[in-house]
Amino acid sequence: MYSLRLALKSLWHDRWINLLSVITIATGLFILGVVVFSLYNVEKIASHMPERFTINVFLSNKATDRDIKGLIKYLKRSPIVKDYRYISKEDALKELRRSLKDAAYILEGIDENPLFPSVVVRIKSSEFDKNKVMELIDRIKGMSRVDDVIYAARLFESIEKLSRGFRLLGLGIILLFSLSVVFVSYSTVKILFYRRNEEIEIYKLLGATKGFIRSPFIIEGSVLGALGGCLASAAIFGFVFILKGYNNPVPFLAYLKLPMPFVAVLPVVGLALGAAGSTIALGRLKYQDA
Amino acid sequence: MIKFNEVTKVYENITALRKVSFSIEKGEFTFVTGPSGAGKSTLLKLIYLAEKPDEGSISIAGWETLSLKEKAIPFVRRNIGIVFQDFKLLPNKNVYDNIAIALRIRGVKESEIKSRVHEALKLVNLRHKTESFPSALSGGEQQRVTIARAIVGEPTVLIADEPTGNLDVDNTAGIMRIFREINAKGTTIIFATHNMELVKNTGLRVLKLDNGNLVRDERA
Repeated sequence: MYSLRLALKSLWHDRWINLLSVITIATGLFILGVVVFSLYNVEKIASHMPERFTINVFLSNKATDRDIKGLIKYLKRSPIVKDYRYISKEDALKELRRSLKDAAYILEGIDENPLFPSVVVRIKSSEFDKNKVMELIDRIKGMSRVDDVIYAARLFESIEKLSRGFRLLGLGIILLFSLSVVFVSYSTVKILFYRRNEEIEIYKLLGATKGFIRSPFIIEGSVLGALGGCLASAAIFGFVFILKGYNNPVPFLAYLKLPMPFVAVLPVVGLALGAAGSTIALGRLKYQDA
Repeated sequence: MIKFNEVTKVYENITALRKVSFSIEKGEFTFVTGPSGAGKSTLLKLIYLAEKPDEGSISIAGWETLSLKEKAIPFVRRNIGIVFQDFKLLPNKNVYDNIAIALRIRGVKESEIKSRVHEALKLVNLRHKTESFPSALSGGEQQRVTIARAIVGEPTVLIADEPTGNLDVDNTAGIMRIFREINAKGTTIIFATHNMELVKNTGLRVLKLDNGNLVRDERA
């Protein structure tokens, strides 16, 4: 209780310097918040991309009903398959004719249907995992009378790369700005610690434990971090509000979503980073010279 | 109570104390005298654990200081009240808070702190200065606040490093009277001074240091 009183008193005493620290911390946390906001929305957009991903299973002309039923039974049971569509060789020819439109005459004179029956498989977005999809493709390839399995390998790779790239970049930026918040609270508390060095020496001589000496500083760093977090949360709200206001020229902005739990937790993130910075700043307290 | 056994302390090739041995009993009033640089402050620092001896051993109230873990030091220090020549008061706190801090460190309740601080202020005759800040006090008054802070935690040992060094004759006499009163209540006192006039005819024990050596241990 005494430590809390001491910390609040000190925060008020140096309120202008502390306000600057809070603004600096808030700036760092705001950038961190914007990165998380962007990542969240990119992930959301990326999560819709698998819906366009299809696997085409081409069956041999010799495929019997039993072979087709076997494949469909397997697809039904698979937890990652969203849906599938069987296209008989007759339907495939009809579709080809339809897609060729005016050039359909190319097919004239062909007596025998040259196409193969196939099954088009779509994957659930929530289950879109490279290993799981590859496992499914390998299993289908190994089934009897399956001639070939064709899938959009490049789309598949680009979804993977995009998500991975954004995550890596985001993590890098988050780490960088977390460190900057730690550094701001570190330097604020370090300066304070030097200024109060004489007082701390007196406390040590009077028999104060390290906890008693450290706690006001850690409380101070934590409060600065938490206040910075609150300010950053408010700024992110404002930022997203303004961004969504540009609905007309850029319509997709209206669909952007703010991850609310993250905004709510930002003051706690600030508090934790502030406490970490202060703890590092205090270093090792020594009672004795060698 | 306090036992030094062949204690040597060296600072960068300068021997501050050389094989010093003595023991002080509970409730004793002991002067540590000697010229500047004789090793008086070093001896006191070794008692309140601000320094470690290079050789020999020290025991305080049965604790061997060398085997003491660092986290135990604050708890040992709470049994040792310290009075400094330069007072070491907190300039941004008033007299009450300067004394109360010694009890807050110990986790004493605020209601108890109030009565104990007033008791300590009564002993040093400063009850009327509770709200004053150190800068508004005379040297003698500041030293009395330091004494009040040192005794408010009821330590078993009170260490004073040249407490009258900056004071005039009247204030010195007043401070000495307070120390004798505290000692009469059973507190062990170790009082370092280079002022031999203060020691003369007191009938108290004197440890005289010279150039790091204990050259005399007798009654004044």
